Amino acid sequence: MFRHIFAYRLKVLLRDKTMIFWTMIFPIALATFFNLAFGGLGESGSFNVIDVALVETQPNPQFMSVLDMMTAGETPLFALQKVTAPRGETLLADGHVAGIITVSESMSLKVNQSGIRQSILKVFLDRYAHTTRTAGRIAAEDPQVLMEMDFTPVVFTEERPVSHAEMDIKLSYFYALIAMACFYGSFFGMEEVNLIQANLSKRAARLNMAPLHKLKAFLYSSLASYSILIVEMMLLMAYLVLILKIDFGNQIGWVIFTIFVGSLTGISFGGFIASMVKGDENVKTGLLIGATMAGSFLAGMMFQNVKHLVQLKAPILQYLNPVNLLADAFYALYFFNTCKRYLINIAGLLVFAVVFAGSTYLVVRRRKYASV
Amino acid sequence: MILEANNLVKRYGDLVALDHLSLEVKKGEIFGLLGPNGSGKTTAINCILSLIKYDKGDIHVFGRPMAPDAYDLKKDIGVVMQDVAVFNELTVYENVDYFCGLYVPDKQTRKQLVEEAIDFVGLSDYRKFYPKKLSGGLLRRLNIACGIAHKPKLIILDEPTVAVDPQSRNRILEGIVALNRQGATIVYTSHYMEEVEKICSRIMIIDKGRSIAEGTKDDLKKMISLGEKITVEVFGISEEQLEKLENLPHISTVTCEGNLVEIRSHKSKNNLEKVLEFIKSENISFGRIYSELPTLNDVFLEITGKELRD
Repeated sequence: MFRHIFAYRLKVLLRDKTMIFWTMIFPIALATFFNLAFGGLGESGSFNVIDVALVETQPNPQFMSVLDMMTAGETPLFALQKVTAPRGETLLADGHVAGIITVSESMSLKVNQSGIRQSILKVFLDRYAHTTRTAGRIAAEDPQVLMEMDFTPVVFTEERPVSHAEMDIKLSYFYALIAMACFYGSFFGMEEVNLIQANLSKRAARLNMAPLHKLKAFLYSSLASYSILIVEMMLLMAYLVLILKIDFGNQIGWVIFTIFVGSLTGISFGGFIASMVKGDENVKTGLLIGATMAGSFLAGMMFQNVKHLVQLKAPILQYLNPVNLLADAFYALYFFNTCKRYLINIAGLLVFAVVFAGSTYLVVRRRKYASV
Repeated sequence: MILEANNLVKRYGDLVALDHLSLEVKKGEIFGLLGPNGSGKTTAINCILSLIKYDKGDIHVFGRPMAPDAYDLKKDIGVVMQDVAVFNELTVYENVDYFCGLYVPDKQTRKQLVEEAIDFVGLSDYRKFYPKKLSGGLLRRLNIACGIAHKPKLIILDEPTVAVDPQSRNRILEGIVALNRQGATIVYTSHYMEEVEKICSRIMIIDKGRSIAEGTKDDLKKMISLGEKITVEVFGISEEQLEKLENLPHISTVTCEGNLVEIRSHKSKNNLEKVLEFIKSENISFGRIYSELPTLNDVFLEITGKELRD
């Protein structure tokens, strides 16, 4: 009987174009849109080499050796162009360089706008001037001390990364998107309840007249829905990773586990709404879409700042929003080296799944109806 | 007794849908449940099938109490509900196979049963069609095939011909009789008296959840005082002659519309002969003339004072 119901449910659901659109095509289309819209987000915070025009009016080998250090290596700070003063002015005016360093007895910097690159140039020159002045003073007073001095910068803070991953803001949007896709699985849950509750559909009435335990039929049928949702989610992940080249880190096993848990919560959410809410299917569908989109919004799918606002102003909402729990589980998995935050999210999702499924069971187990 | 319901009471708030309804269906008969819309036919069926709760009464099927988990009873019951209940995503064959599979796990046996059911309802040429491609009549036939494919001993059909074209309706009615000949006991609900009169061996007329008459169609017609209805095509009849006609013995009402005079009589022998004699004696020129026996609608009308289709 399991094979019979399972196989036919697969057929029915896979041929349901509306269902497949909302649960698979729509998330993939949205992911494509996100990729186009947020493609440059990760690059805005990255550092590029600063182009500088160097005008040497007097030789200064000491300064030039320092500059050489700044332009060498795997991650150079500056890219120098040794030019004449008029050429330097042209390059600056055209925006090809961030500033002009003029080397004479004393160094000077000319910029024509303010910005991070110009600030770095200023700090560099200030620090050089400060160090050479200090060294000059010490050399004048006691050259021996200067010989013994260690010019390595003293750092009073220690860098301890919370993550092994590189920061990528757009990932947060994709996490919320995956969470939304899992919760669109709620349509499957709604369908399953509609198919087993004789007071909700004529097909369910027919099924209730068959010599078959209705909870078994419900379970077999729901397993078919769950299987399809998992396959759809795997296809979405494959699309994100292989086509859109989204890097979800190296914990792919846990990511898949999280999708399994999220899909379970999503389907049980649909069953919960279908069994608890009175009204026709359109009302329930509207409610499912509304609740999922609202949850996704609060989880930062449309504006990342909303997630932070919720964290600051109404932190309890983070835990009451299952879409956020799921998105945050992915986030925690990728960004944090410890699993505490991840486990809290997964536990929250499982609690929701138990509450949704338990409530659905209490309604679905009913064997007779007041009316059909 | 295949089916026995005693003293069923079902209330929806203040509305009494079934008012101490009792019925018995014997093995091998086609039992008709006739009543206007809202009379309680479908509610009675849903109670019998243990789909809905009822406030009072008990139901036995095949001599055993009916319950939602009486799976050994349910496997011998076939149900064709009023509304078409099939999957639009499955073909005709797949739909019948799916519902049959809920009763018959063995694939080989099922294959044969499904083929037989599809042939039986005349959908052999449509087996790969999806329901959306079928006309209303064909869809009804598919609905029937889904309910009977597992060869049940008791088949309950709840208004299976609503909104069906005459050709499909005849096919459905012939099919029901054939199923009965093959050994199935049938419970057939309808508000179409002609259908019930045509195929049912025993009929119960219900109204407002109560049984108001029960028996064979002849038994039911004997219960009322109304005799035959005589219709005469006349070419010129005066008001005075119509009045005289109405005053003849055993004539209850006379109405005239255009050239047609409709005469309703009480039960009596030779009513037609007496009417003809009167027409001749009055030298009334006439054309066609025919007489009809009372219908179940007349039975319903006399008992309740309203038309069956009101």
